[in-house]
Amino acid sequence: MFRQVKRRTAGRRNFEGTYTPRNDLPNHRLSFYDVPPTEEITLEQFESWAIDRLKILIEIESCMARGRSFRETETAVRPLLQKLLPLGTWPVNNNSQIDELKKDYYSHFILRLVFCRTEDLRRKFVRNETVLFKIRYNAMQPKEQHQFITNHHDKLPWNYIDSDEKLALFDQLFAATGATVKSALAAESDGQITTDQLRAHFRNENFIKVPFEKITSLVATRLVLLKLGYGYVPSTLQLSLLALEFQELLQRDLLRTFQSIPRLEEDDRLLPLLNHLGQNFASMEYDPAFSADPSLVSDINAASVTTPAITNHYPLCAKHLQTNMIASSHLRHEGRQQLSLFLKGIGLSVDEALKFWSHSFTSGPHAMTPERFNKEFKYNIRHTYGLEGARTNYKPWDCARILLRPLPGKNEYHGCPYRDLSVDALTTQLGEMGVGAVDMKGVLNDVERKDYTVACTRVFEITHNVQAEHIGHPNLYFDRSRQLERAKTETA
Amino acid sequence: MADPVPSQAAVPADSGVSSSDMLFFYQRLLPFRQIFQWLNHSPKPSKDFTMREFAYEYRTGAYQRYNSFSNLEEFKKSVVQANPTRFEVGAVYSVNPKERKRLPKQALKPLAKELVFDIDLTDYDEIRTCCSGTDICKKCWRFIQVAIKILDAALREDFGFNRLIWVFSGRRGAHCWVSDARARCLDETTRKSIVEYLDVLGSRLNRQGKNLLSLKRPFHPHVERSFDLLKNEFVDIILKEQDPWNTSSSEPSDKSWEQVETLLSYVPEKPLQEELRRKWKLQTSVSTSMSKWEDITVIAKKILKHQNQVNALNEAKKDIILFYMYPRLDIEVSKQLIHLLKSPFCVHPSTGNICVPFDPHHNLSNNEEDDDYGFNPTNAPNLRQLQNEIEVWDVRRVNRDSSQPLEDGESEADKRISEYEKTSLKPYVEYFQKFVNNLLKDELKDSGKRGRDDDTLEF
Ligand code: SF4
Ligand SMILES: [Zn+2]
Repeated sequence: MFRQVKRRTAGRRNFEGTYTPRNDLPNHRLSFYDVPPTEEITLEQFESWAIDRLKILIEIESCMARGRSFRETETAVRPLLQKLLPLGTWPVNNNSQIDELKKDYYSHFILRLVFCRTEDLRRKFVRNETVLFKIRYNAMQPKEQHQFITNHHDKLPWNYIDSDEKLALFDQLFAATGATVKSALAAESDGQITTDQLRAHFRNENFIKVPFEKITSLVATRLVLLKLGYGYVPSTLQLSLLALEFQELLQRDLLRTFQSIPRLEEDDRLLPLLNHLGQNFASMEYDPAFSADPSLVSDINAASVTTPAITNHYPLCAKHLQTNMIASSHLRHEGRQQLSLFLKGIGLSVDEALKFWSHSFTSGPHAMTPERFNKEFKYNIRHTYGLEGARTNYKPWDCARILLRPLPGKNEYHGCPYRDLSVDALTTQLGEMGVGAVDMKGVLNDVERKDYTVACTRVFEITHNVQAEHIGHPNLYFDRSRQLERAKTETA
Repeated sequence: MADPVPSQAAVPADSGVSSSDMLFFYQRLLPFRQIFQWLNHSPKPSKDFTMREFAYEYRTGAYQRYNSFSNLEEFKKSVVQANPTRFEVGAVYSVNPKERKRLPKQALKPLAKELVFDIDLTDYDEIRTCCSGTDICKKCWRFIQVAIKILDAALREDFGFNRLIWVFSGRRGAHCWVSDARARCLDETTRKSIVEYLDVLGSRLNRQGKNLLSLKRPFHPHVERSFDLLKNEFVDIILKEQDPWNTSSSEPSDKSWEQVETLLSYVPEKPLQEELRRKWKLQTSVSTSMSKWEDITVIAKKILKHQNQVNALNEAKKDIILFYMYPRLDIEVSKQLIHLLKSPFCVHPSTGNICVPFDPHHNLSNNEEDDDYGFNPTNAPNLRQLQNEIEVWDVRRVNRDSSQPLEDGESEADKRISEYEKTSLKPYVEYFQKFVNNLLKDELKDSGKRGRDDDTLEF
């Protein structure tokens, strides 16, 4: 797709060589991303950096959609960050670290291009980037945090108050912010905080003074002490203040990016890439590495894929397709495509696939003759495996793709059941999978918000009794499920 | 816009102000120069004045927005010519408001305006017993007086504003104009947050629920300070003067019983509530607010067994004091940048009272009787009275001129004297002038500072 373009850009690489301080890159691990980068990077970098960051944002989005607390999200995202977007240690001191910072910086700006185009995407991007910002700020030592604040005094007119001022205002500070600090403390230590403990904590609490214009919501709710035009903000509220600043800046910049996009669209190299990235928040390509384990594939054959030992690991879409195909001895074109690629993805070889399909189509009350199957459908199955026609090795569809295809009509079973089934039918199906009444509400809420993959991930969590990363691919659902099962039998 | 005037027909003929009275007032009394300086923030005409919107309200009820003037002379000339019943001050815009028709619509963006507040006694109708509707007396003015104390303290001590002035709205309320540069450039979100900070009683909607104050304990320092101010006045203003729970007369009004129910709704513990209600229903002779307030403590002693019940009752009493006396703000006026408000020194069309700026702590009328009130609305300068005073003054001068030989320069001095100086408006104009002078001093300092280190100033 980019071959021709790559050649064009290859000659322009100029990012290699020795490191000299660049003024377009920050020397800090945390950034407001307020200066757009100007150096050139290759299209490969462009794409892979963007995808890595996207993976992180998707994880955040998914955690939040499932009602994870900030702490839980933090725990889920940190290892991913370490793998995909590490930032090294502080202070920044070597060239390889600079490259990490560069990746972070550029990937942020690339995704701005992707997500600036609709209100909805902008909102999601800002929300997830803000959480990422908070996670990173939290991971820093107080010294680095302090330095960050000082470096950005233009945006963050924070003044740390000294102990004399604090002592003089102690009672008023306590009256204004005691309750807030108390609930923050209680959440952290999940226990009751006595007034004495709270007072003791207050003695060590760091307050900053901020112009009241900067903290309107804290002013409106009378959550901070105000004195002569300054609000006194305890450290427990400082992070959200910072996040608010980040969020507002990003919102503004994203709109500006959007307004400058017409110029960008003339760039034929970027447009397809951006479209591809932006297709859907859950549009990550399925990573075959997940199913590379041959020991998991060995028991997949025409006979086993109809047994509960295997079908128990199916996501609802696959279950729905296969059940209805067997019941009616038939499956229309769209459904055939979706199911056979899924089965290919779980490791069903082409020979076993032919066995499976012909058996299903030629037995049962509505069966067709084997001749008809061979004539009309054999080619189709082999085509799926890249053995006919253009010999493309088709990949299993991810949820985004499935959700983009035409809706199923009468007697069709493709698509995503979370979207396509009536609430009643869906409730029945999920009930059979073991989703209880309380959890059902959450799932149906996701469905109502049109967050189908979130609903599906939630069902995975409920039925497997785990906390899971977001699932955006039916085969990923299957593989994760099997991995969990194997882990269990191994420890047992 | 605030304090809307009923149609002309509703104006009683005797106190009504004729258009020739108004013309006289605009030509001879209204201190245009001081108003110009106040809005302009510098001696020479600046954008703060020339791009400022003024609106006229006419006798017919017609309302004309988007007037703007390039200098003091044009301002005065236009008002005299239009002779409106009053004029209102709006925001400073990005372009000249009167030229808006020639410009694209989105060009007319409001940039700045004084932060304003409006307290009106009509919002106290459910609790005041002395008057209702448009009526007002010295007793109910005490609600305004105490409201001013609370808001004044918060605006100065909490928000750090210094240049604020209180203006009589002409009938039953007061406006506050905060002119600090920092206040003028607040965006609407920030204005809204200030209003919500000050609006302790919550929106009108909540107020229907009466005891839904739900203020967190300990009180926020602003609430605590307000409470301290109010608790000292509660006995006088509420228990003695307003006496809202008085059911003494043989047939007490429904309103008093309604108020008694409101009071009871704050009382925690059902048994205590019921015991109090039973007692008060049985009382046939004297049952004042004072005695009821005392009953609560006496009966509570008998009924409440646990210390935490007593504590709850004490907290409830604080809520009652706040509910009955905390300022009731007309919050919409303060939130919007484009909202207009009647200018100081306008004449209230139906009372003829001048909307004078006043010092809430110290009365300017030279009338000892008013000392308790800071400002006494029933003695406010009135157009009719001012006209008399000018007449008297002029007559006296004629007499003096003819009876005494002129000393050198005296007649010159006489000619230079402004008309308002011949009247009881004088101390109010001087008070305003002092306020404006301080404001101008600030602006001068600020512009000097801004010139030196422009980029370090961030709001
Ligand atoms: S969300 Fe994806 S995996 Fe789940 S049912 Fe829908 S299409 Fe299948
Ligand atoms: Zn009254």
